[in-house]
Amino acid sequence: MIWLSWRQFRLPLLVGVVCLALAAAFLVHLGWDIREARDAYEARCRTPGDCGPVLAQFAGDYQNTLLFVAAGFALLPAVIGAFWGAPLVARELEAGTHRLVWNQSVTRRRWFTVKVAVVGLAGMAVAGVASALLTWAAGPVDRVADDRFSTVVFGARNIAPVAYAAFAVALGVTAGLLTRRTVPAMALTMLCCTVLQFAVPNLVRPHFMAAERLSRPMTAEAINQARGLGSITGAAVVKGLTLPDAWISDVSELRTADGRPLAEAKFTECFDDPPRTGATGTFGDTAACLGKLDLHVDIGYQPDDRYWPFQWIESAFYLALAALLAAFGWWRIRRRIS
Amino acid sequence: MPPDSTPVLHAEGLTKRYGRRPALTDCHLSIPPGRVIGLVGPNGAGKTTLLQLAGGLIAPTSGTLRVLGAPPAANAAHVARVGFVAQDTPVYASFTVADHLRLGARLNPSWDRSLAERRIAQAGLNPAQKAGRLSGGQRAQLALTIAAAKRPDLLILDEPAAALDPLARDAFLRSLGDFVAELGASAVLSSHLLSDVERVCDYLIVLRDSRVRVAGEVRELLAVHHGGTGTLADLVLGHLREGSR
Repeated sequence: MIWLSWRQFRLPLLVGVVCLALAAAFLVHLGWDIREARDAYEARCRTPGDCGPVLAQFAGDYQNTLLFVAAGFALLPAVIGAFWGAPLVARELEAGTHRLVWNQSVTRRRWFTVKVAVVGLAGMAVAGVASALLTWAAGPVDRVADDRFSTVVFGARNIAPVAYAAFAVALGVTAGLLTRRTVPAMALTMLCCTVLQFAVPNLVRPHFMAAERLSRPMTAEAINQARGLGSITGAAVVKGLTLPDAWISDVSELRTADGRPLAEAKFTECFDDPPRTGATGTFGDTAACLGKLDLHVDIGYQPDDRYWPFQWIESAFYLALAALLAAFGWWRIRRRIS
Repeated sequence: MPPDSTPVLHAEGLTKRYGRRPALTDCHLSIPPGRVIGLVGPNGAGKTTLLQLAGGLIAPTSGTLRVLGAPPAANAAHVARVGFVAQDTPVYASFTVADHLRLGARLNPSWDRSLAERRIAQAGLNPAQKAGRLSGGQRAQLALTIAAAKRPDLLILDEPAAALDPLARDAFLRSLGDFVAELGASAVLSSHLLSDVERVCDYLIVLRDSRVRVAGEVRELLAVHHGGTGTLADLVLGHLREGSR
């Protein structure tokens, strides 16, 4: 049975390994590049003795590149699920070959288990190698930028991607089992993977552990440190606040001293037509105007020392989903398919 | 051949419905071992349904079916005793003929390698050829070889020769006869070609409108029908017309 899985899977596996080799070459090159740049920056800062700003500049040079890489990396599970998982059963049902293979002296459940295990392990291995290389390549930048807990970077480092791959394969197989058509199963797999990549970090991950809370006064200075102000709906919000050594998972709207949300009218007034004070900073007079209102925001955050617990919890979450889907397929293959 | 006289197929009240449409209704059968059974009837009469039930590919809506004394596809050992050639004889297009034999050898503990290789050679198949490039007749020969080389006690064939030209069909039926003789197995063969059935079968089941119209030894059926003077075709057509009246 393992021979058959290997015989059917060797071509897709070869394509996958070639893609992985290309990605690995790129990541190794990037890793060396990053290390060279770090050494150059460190040599420059040794003379004045203050490395902080210089290293921040070094991290800034690579952060965008690494964000793009992480975003591309987020597609990996969807691709593995669609190209390796979805055809696994769907192609057999489509071609009718299940009627050949299910009449050999192997039960359907064994056939299903071996096939899913072989492809699932291969997917996890590919994701693991890619993730290990990316974690290594980005190491020096991650240590300076201190953002490995942030929404996008979290899912592109260490062990979480391995669990994503296991889940994606199980999802693809299940989609193929239900649709019985390869192409719709691939599309469905891609769609579900993408939706989860957005839903889990924003809706599920913040609740893995109870968030720590703090209230931060929004002085003019604090507002000028934010990345954005206001939203398309005109709500009184600040965006892109940072907290050292923590992942901010939840920021309230601007609140007045009595804890109520700042009235939109007042916010709009400060935003559109603030009194001219000649204040400088990112938001200028608007920040000064808002700063006078004695505002604050309530922040929910996860301290950085929870990074590894979160990696494990997220992995366990996806592996549990994968096990559920596989168990469903294992049950259904015996009961329902003709 | 099974040493005892356990029926190869034993059905009681076997019924299969797809939604509300009946595919097989209240089917009672008990077929002794060692026969080559012809399953005939118009398209949509329930032939494929009965064979897929016997192969364990689908589950009945109600009633029971025992194949060689056990529920269909009960476990790996039982699947090993039944060889199934599905309609349109599916094979893996990207596998070579030799790959298919390797598949059979890996997945069947009772695989008879010399039988498989001998039959492939007799059928004139090139082991290095991709199965996707075989003609219909060659593909059917390959599928039959895979089903037979695991040395089953029962061979089930669903319209195996329907799509073949007369020459290929003749070769296929000859192979089938050889296999049955060599294995000492029983076989069930569905067909809407009466000449095929007449040639290889000694037991007949006529299905019409999802029901069994007649089942029995060909010799006995012919003896009763017109006092033994009619042909098998007369007999089958007689039963099919009778049902439609």
